[in-house]
Amino acid sequence: MADSILSLADVTLTLAGNAGPVEILHGITLDVHRGETLGLVGPSGSGKSSLLMLMGGLERATSGRVTALGHDLTAMNEDQLARFRRQHMGVVFQSFHLIPTMTALENVATPLELAGHRDAFDRAAEELRAVGLGPRMDHYPSQMSGGEQQRVALARAAAPRPHVLLADEPTGNLDGANGAAIMDLLFGLRDRHGATLVLVTHAPDLAARCDRVVRLADGRIASDELRRAAE
Amino acid sequence: MTLAVAARIARRELRGGLRGFYVFLACLALGVAAIAAVGSVRQSIEGGLKREGAVLLGGDAEMSLTYRYAEPDERAWMEDVATRVSEIVDFRSMVVVERDGVTERGLTQVKGVDGAYPLYGTVELDPPMPLDTALAGDGAVMERVLADRLGLRPGDRFRLGTADYTLSAVLLREPDGAGDGFGLGPRLILRTAALEGSGLLAPGTLYETKYRLALPVGSDMAALETRADARFADKGMRWRDARNGAPGMTRFVDRMGSFLVLVGLAGLAVGGVGVSAAVRAYLDGKTEVIAILKTLGAEGRTILLAYLMQIGTLAGLGIVLGLALGALAPMVAAPFIQAQLPVPVQVSLHPGPLAEAALYGVLTALLFTLWPLARTEEVRAAALFRDASGQVRAWPRPVYMGVTVALAAALIWIAAWFSGVPQLALWAAFGIVAALGLLALAAVGLRRLARRLARARAVRGRTALRLALGAVGGPGGETVSVVLSLGLGLSILAAIGQIDANLRSAIQQELPERAPSYFVVDIQPDQLDGFLARLTGDPGVSKVETAPMLRGVITRINDRPAKEVAGDHWVIRGDRGVTYAATPPEGTIVNAGAWWPADYDGPPVMSFADEEAGEIGLKLGDAVTVNILGRDITATVTSFREVDFSTAGIGFVVTMNPAALMGAPHTHIATVYAEPEAEAAILRDLAEAYPNITAIRVRDAVDRVAEVLSSLAAAIAYGASATLVTGVIVLIGAAAAGERTRVFESAVLKTVGAVRGQVLAYFALRSAMLGAAAGTVAIVAGGVAGWAVMEFVMMGGYEFEPVSALAIVLGGAAATLLAGLAFAWRPLAARPARVLRARE
Ligand SMILES: Nc1ncnc2c1ncn2[C@@H]1O[C@H](COP(=O)(O)OP(=O)(O)OP(=O)(O)O)[C@@H](O)[C@H]1O
Ligand SMILES: [Mg+2]
Repeated sequence: MADSILSLADVTLTLAGNAGPVEILHGITLDVHRGETLGLVGPSGSGKSSLLMLMGGLERATSGRVTALGHDLTAMNEDQLARFRRQHMGVVFQSFHLIPTMTALENVATPLELAGHRDAFDRAAEELRAVGLGPRMDHYPSQMSGGEQQRVALARAAAPRPHVLLADEPTGNLDGANGAAIMDLLFGLRDRHGATLVLVTHAPDLAARCDRVVRLADGRIASDELRRAAE
Repeated sequence: MTLAVAARIARRELRGGLRGFYVFLACLALGVAAIAAVGSVRQSIEGGLKREGAVLLGGDAEMSLTYRYAEPDERAWMEDVATRVSEIVDFRSMVVVERDGVTERGLTQVKGVDGAYPLYGTVELDPPMPLDTALAGDGAVMERVLADRLGLRPGDRFRLGTADYTLSAVLLREPDGAGDGFGLGPRLILRTAALEGSGLLAPGTLYETKYRLALPVGSDMAALETRADARFADKGMRWRDARNGAPGMTRFVDRMGSFLVLVGLAGLAVGGVGVSAAVRAYLDGKTEVIAILKTLGAEGRTILLAYLMQIGTLAGLGIVLGLALGALAPMVAAPFIQAQLPVPVQVSLHPGPLAEAALYGVLTALLFTLWPLARTEEVRAAALFRDASGQVRAWPRPVYMGVTVALAAALIWIAAWFSGVPQLALWAAFGIVAALGLLALAAVGLRRLARRLARARAVRGRTALRLALGAVGGPGGETVSVVLSLGLGLSILAAIGQIDANLRSAIQQELPERAPSYFVVDIQPDQLDGFLARLTGDPGVSKVETAPMLRGVITRINDRPAKEVAGDHWVIRGDRGVTYAATPPEGTIVNAGAWWPADYDGPPVMSFADEEAGEIGLKLGDAVTVNILGRDITATVTSFREVDFSTAGIGFVVTMNPAALMGAPHTHIATVYAEPEAEAAILRDLAEAYPNITAIRVRDAVDRVAEVLSSLAAAIAYGASATLVTGVIVLIGAAAAGERTRVFESAVLKTVGAVRGQVLAYFALRSAMLGAAAGTVAIVAGGVAGWAVMEFVMMGGYEFEPVSALAIVLGGAAATLLAGLAFAWRPLAARPARVLRARE
């Protein structure tokens, strides 16, 4: 299929474990298409998070090529990668990684500011209201619940309107109502701005809303099925 | 049960080795080592002084007189109590050497001795020979500096006054050298008998006689002193004995020793800050472990005990290392120390100072680790579910605050007790506490300000600045702890820098603008006119001041012993210069009372220096008795006048009406203000015309004082360098302690699109803000402490030394910044996933 926004070609990832090097991903080849919603599923430890990190240029592939929007991520240095993410990519980590010395608002405003938006704070506030955190804007991460932190992390990733949003278990800590709100936000991003979503998830209802589900097992792609998008 | 579990946890944690504890160990070890070393050296010197008391004094006891020899009845009293008596006469003079038509002159401190000298110890000469041989006939010995300056070698002839002498050997060491105190010129020794015909020691000449007594073994010194005082104190006789053979030296070692111990304690305080920061960083990293242990059912007490044991073990190791270093260093440096001192020093292991240092080490370690340790109790299991930072209350439970206060009090009390200068120690402790208070205020203020500024519209868009402000103003104890540790370290370094710089500038001090070139003593009354005639005609001479000069001891005030009235004031301690004048000398300012009429002819009246009169509580109309040449003169105080002792001009505490003193044999002193080019010719002419007079070049005298001061400054510099090394380690430690946080932040910031330059700018700005707050307080605190030490301990003037202060503060801040950036560099280059994965 044409119009691939993210493309991995025979990518392997080897990490140095305690008992010598461990190959975590073995020869992954995968194309993600523009506007697609891709669900990454698989058992714990199968390498989902690692693959997501590679897609975001947050991890260096041991071999193979990672291309995003036509740019070869494997050839870029750290600063080039940072600028690339600033313009094109949002990342939500499995354990959020908010900066503890910043309020929710400041956490969300930071990428907007880095991207040069003059109205960073206003947009950040709007984004936080959208995830239902209007009253929590001036709270520090340590003063928020896990679910609230997760929503801040999502707002931080989504605020700059990235072309690609990579999210590691975005609804993992949320109850039904909040989880649904987050899903609406994610898919709204796709629908309104044409963003491409890559979501790691265990949640069946989230996976069910994806266009395509890739199943990982032991660092390999075990299955790759296209689904009819919901509705 | 709890104990056993705690011990097991501690042992498991210790398996991690010393990684992360190098700063902790270094801080503790260096602090303990510095104190142990200073204490050991001081003990060695004091041991030498005590053991050699009689040798240093030159006898078991010494009775000294100014201006005169002992009367036969006084001498008889001495012969009566002592087994042997040795008489010494001590005065200043000028050695003259004529060679190839060129005349060289050198100021010297002459010691005329009898055959009994020295009662104890031996005089070392080069070439080696008995003193008797060297002093036979017109033989004399002098110190090498003087011989070298004048180009004299053994066998050469030189002149003193109007007589000629032969240099028979160079004086290497006089046993009683340290006891003699401070002389302006190098020492020369000859037989008193050989002085006859030299024209020196004429009536009125300034000289001192000392009678050294060898006492029967077991004599009661205190009782003898009382007897001697009762009999001779009114005659201007002063008593000293071997209980304190070299009081000047003892005072010097004492003051130096206690000052250095305080420098050491300051170093330990700096180290303590490092220790505290290291433990806090370590335990912060353990928050998760602690939370998990709590989830699994461990009590707060068990956990506290476990980490207390672990840190205690490491502290023990640090203290032992410090003691070993502190005990070894003086032994290695022994030859060097010995060379600096006129006292035989035996550097050996002194358990006392080592125990003292160990005690300081234990208390400091406890004091500075208690809070971080106490905070482990506050970690709640919930920390696992949230971001751990900011969860822990800033203040530990009241019981730990109580223990902290008790520990601090114990430390201060022990320091006050052991140092022997309780006031100084208390003030130093007060200074450190005050500095910490000031720093805490600065930190809280900075946090508030940063928090407010971070919200300001003006900083929006300036990401690095906003990030820095947010971090400084945000939760987590980093701002307070960094400002406290960096600030205390910098404050102490700045204070030491101020003291050091002030001492140095005191040494290099330019002479006062209008200082005289020469200070001339022993001008006989019949020489005065000729002396003035030679100078007033000279175009190179701008001013000559002369005054009659006698020396006397103030013995009674209103017919009560002066000591009872004035205590230990310097004015009554030894003999003082006394002068007379019919009319107020030019420039005299009379503050109270009135000067006597020019033709006054009544009973003796006196004008007293105003400031000193105030200090000893003298009022107009009081009767002051001065003993001059054994004779009591009682005068009524009729005026107080301004006397400036700081300009090196002529200044007398006591001036009387001429009739009161003119009958006593006396000489005149003069100050000569001349162009530098004219100085040599003036000296030559005066010395040739009046061989008995002594001209002291003021520049040389100042240099000689400077020599003594520079050894003091050198010792302080050694102490300061130990503190500086500790300080640098603490700063590096502080930078390293923040590494974990910084690594994480840079990974997240890069993920959301920050380039390395922006992250670095953010780190640098944050360091700069913290450094600026700490540095500002440090300059203030260092300045105040430096002023206090100079003013009250060194008894010198203080001037703020901006260069030293700025250099230390900027240097310290730069070192922290560079170390911080160095630690941040590696993580900045790493891919974020590597960092963040470790935190999943
Ligand atoms: N630093 C590392 N060194 C060696 N192996 C690692 C390292 N980090 C992770 N692994 C291993 O890599 C594998 C993949 O990890 P990854 O986090 O990608 O799994 P995951 O699919 O996201 O699992 P989960 O659903 O539990 O989040 C795991 O087996 C893990 O043990
Ligand atoms: Mg994962």
